[in-house]
Amino acid sequence: MLDLKLEDIDGILVRYNVALEKEMTPDEAAEELYPKDEQIYPIAKAIYEGEEDDVIDGLKAAIDAGKDPIALINEALMTGMGVVSKLYDDGIIFLPNVMMSADAMLDGIEFCKTQTTEVPEPRGKIVCHVAEGDVHDIGKNIVAALLRASGYEVVDLGRDCPVDEVIEAVEKEKPLMVTGTALMTTTMYAFKEINDKLLEKGIKLPFACGGGAVNQDFVSQYDLGVYGEEASDAVKIANFIVGGGDDIEKLREEFHKH
Amino acid sequence: MVKKYTSMAYAKADDMLFGNCKFPVKAGLGLEIGAGYATPELNYAPRPQAGKSKEKLVKEYERITTDAMARMVQIGAPSVVLETEHVEQMSNNPEWGGAVAHAQKTIMEEYHDEYGIKCALRHTIGDIREDRDYLQLRGDKYSVFMEAFEQCAQNGADLLSVESMGGKEVFDYSILRNDTAGILFGIGVLGSMDMEMIWSDIADVAKKNGVVAAGDTDCAQANTAMFIAGGLLDKNLAHTTAIVARSIAAGRSLCAYEAGATGPGKDCGYENTIIKSISGVPISQEGKTSTCAHSDVMGNLTMQCCDLWSNESVEYHGEFGGTTVQCWVETLAYDCSMMNTSLKLGKAKDLRDILTLSDKYRDPQGYVLAYDNAYRVGQAIVKDGEDNYLRAKNAAIECCNIVGEGVASGKLKLTRFETNALAKVKADLEGLTDDSDKFMSDCLTKYKEEVAVFRTENYGL
Ligand code: B12
Repeated sequence: MLDLKLEDIDGILVRYNVALEKEMTPDEAAEELYPKDEQIYPIAKAIYEGEEDDVIDGLKAAIDAGKDPIALINEALMTGMGVVSKLYDDGIIFLPNVMMSADAMLDGIEFCKTQTTEVPEPRGKIVCHVAEGDVHDIGKNIVAALLRASGYEVVDLGRDCPVDEVIEAVEKEKPLMVTGTALMTTTMYAFKEINDKLLEKGIKLPFACGGGAVNQDFVSQYDLGVYGEEASDAVKIANFIVGGGDDIEKLREEFHKH
Repeated sequence: MVKKYTSMAYAKADDMLFGNCKFPVKAGLGLEIGAGYATPELNYAPRPQAGKSKEKLVKEYERITTDAMARMVQIGAPSVVLETEHVEQMSNNPEWGGAVAHAQKTIMEEYHDEYGIKCALRHTIGDIREDRDYLQLRGDKYSVFMEAFEQCAQNGADLLSVESMGGKEVFDYSILRNDTAGILFGIGVLGSMDMEMIWSDIADVAKKNGVVAAGDTDCAQANTAMFIAGGLLDKNLAHTTAIVARSIAAGRSLCAYEAGATGPGKDCGYENTIIKSISGVPISQEGKTSTCAHSDVMGNLTMQCCDLWSNESVEYHGEFGGTTVQCWVETLAYDCSMMNTSLKLGKAKDLRDILTLSDKYRDPQGYVLAYDNAYRVGQAIVKDGEDNYLRAKNAAIECCNIVGEGVASGKLKLTRFETNALAKVKADLEGLTDDSDKFMSDCLTKYKEEVAVFRTENYGL
């Protein structure tokens, strides 16, 4: 077969990802971010490495040394996850690492709960769903995992979720926001229905919408809609609400980029 | 019975070409696919409101069909395939699918009679075998699923296809966790088992009705990996991991042809060049002409050995140049005209190589799917062709080797992240057993525990 000469390739395509790669390795970057505390460090590191057994071992050691199991959730588990989230946001590590870390962190939280009768305080509750008629749920799974990894309690209604189920869940759970994912132009209209039914009941809360088919123009058409492009935007929207309130206009100003 | 491939259809990679295959397929109205010319394959989706009733849907597809056929005649295109990918209502209510097929075919017959344009109609049934939370591959929905094929075949569809989903529940879990064994198990083992079952049945329906059992695609898994991997700057999945999943998918999609399908394979099966090298069946492909549906990093390369050239899907509505189906089928037809001219001039191999090389070094995915390398993955598959697990594992290992050689040549550049992901996959693969029974029982134990929605009865296990 014909072939290109090595020196000819650059004129045909540019591997921007290779050209722009960060100098530091992920492990080095993580090392700079871990907390220095002797008991906390190994737990944070085990979270980064996604090693749930090491997380539990680290927690046991810390509890034996006198640390409070509930405090460890924030000081060690969430801090470790914070390292992971930052590295993901900075483009240094990739999603599968985040997913594995999140699994390890959740195991850690479960373990801490067994060590005490106190109930940990989540950062807030969020209801997630995939639009009625739509089975594309990978994006929603990523959204749910990233939210959990950031300390939110997620009520996951799954895929192909009827409009009324979303309304019921919102009434029952009183979340700080709802997320919707739709990958088909035929299913995303369910978001409008959800919006209307919530307003009818006098419920006003941010409804973060995303997924392949959804775009900012569409989401702007209904009052509660806030559009997010990336799964990590769901976390940023939640954080914004926790920190700055749930004014939809402000959220749109911040997150509507197009 | 399924007969597994243990040898290659082509003696060497260089024998593979667009518009030509070892086993051309006659279909529809005067068309022969892979018999020396490339043909456009147009795919479209109805507007959302059109799905409200059977009548509205039939009307929408009549408009689509008439628009497309009219444009083909207006620009003098000699042949065309129309592909109707079912919206859910058409497969869940098989008589809807049948009614649409009938309406479309009636229009195509008119055009064929009047102008002699060669044409065929593909219907791609939706894989409706699931309920809200679980796959239900063998449950109640199976008979509706088969009835959908039957109705389409009886009412005018010439080519039967599906994008089936076997193994997806384990795959979805594994791909987000870099779990190589799970990817291999989901696609290569579970996916292959389901393919063998459904394609034996689809081939029977096709035979009974005198139509073509065309083929499948690993859209549900390998394309999911490709989409999660995304463009050069996305950071959700290493492109090296995505191409390993794709190589595994070749063994899985091949099962259709082992169970009685004859091609043309489905457009979005980016694994199709590998499959063609093994089976010699005609294939449909998409690339730069499917930017209306999604982006990829190998828009020209995919044309290298295609027999049908597709746009994946476009929603029906107006554009400045006509309706979308008219604009896109016209683009496809001019691409085919270029391929067919090169065939007549004896320049086809040059054109093929130009198409391949324009993307070969853009990304590891294109590198492995370049026809010379795709052929090698094919060889790895047939080496243990009788065993779905071993051949999938071979394909994955060969894929890693090919990428490694590309890097060594200096022409394929990887990020450190891609390099590390590749090294991990390779080490994982090398650590796996050569005993398929052991792999099966290990995986059953592991994934029954880890994947809440995994139900072994879906695979008769
Ligand atoms: C994989 C896939 C499938 C898999 C799904 C597997 C699964 N478990 O999800 C399977 C095979 C099951 C499938 C089935 C079908 N599919 Co499909 N599928 C795809 C494909 C190839 C990739 C989708 C994907 O997973 N992307 C990766 C994920 C990670 O992306 P994502 O969900 O968008 O999420 C990202 C962001 O959007 C964001 N995000 C997501 N949600 C949210 C929420 C918030 C709040 C925020 C902030 C962010 C956010 O986060 C993620 C990461 O950043 C697309 C192609 C495409 N162009 O998208 C077609 C596609 C979506 N499918 C399509 C179709 C038509 C179908 C079928 C009808 C086919 C058929 N005839 O059977 C069926 C649908 C059945 C049904 N009723 O739903 C069409 C839809 C066309 C349309 N009408 O709009 C597409 C576009 C393909 C096409 N071009 O024709 N499909």
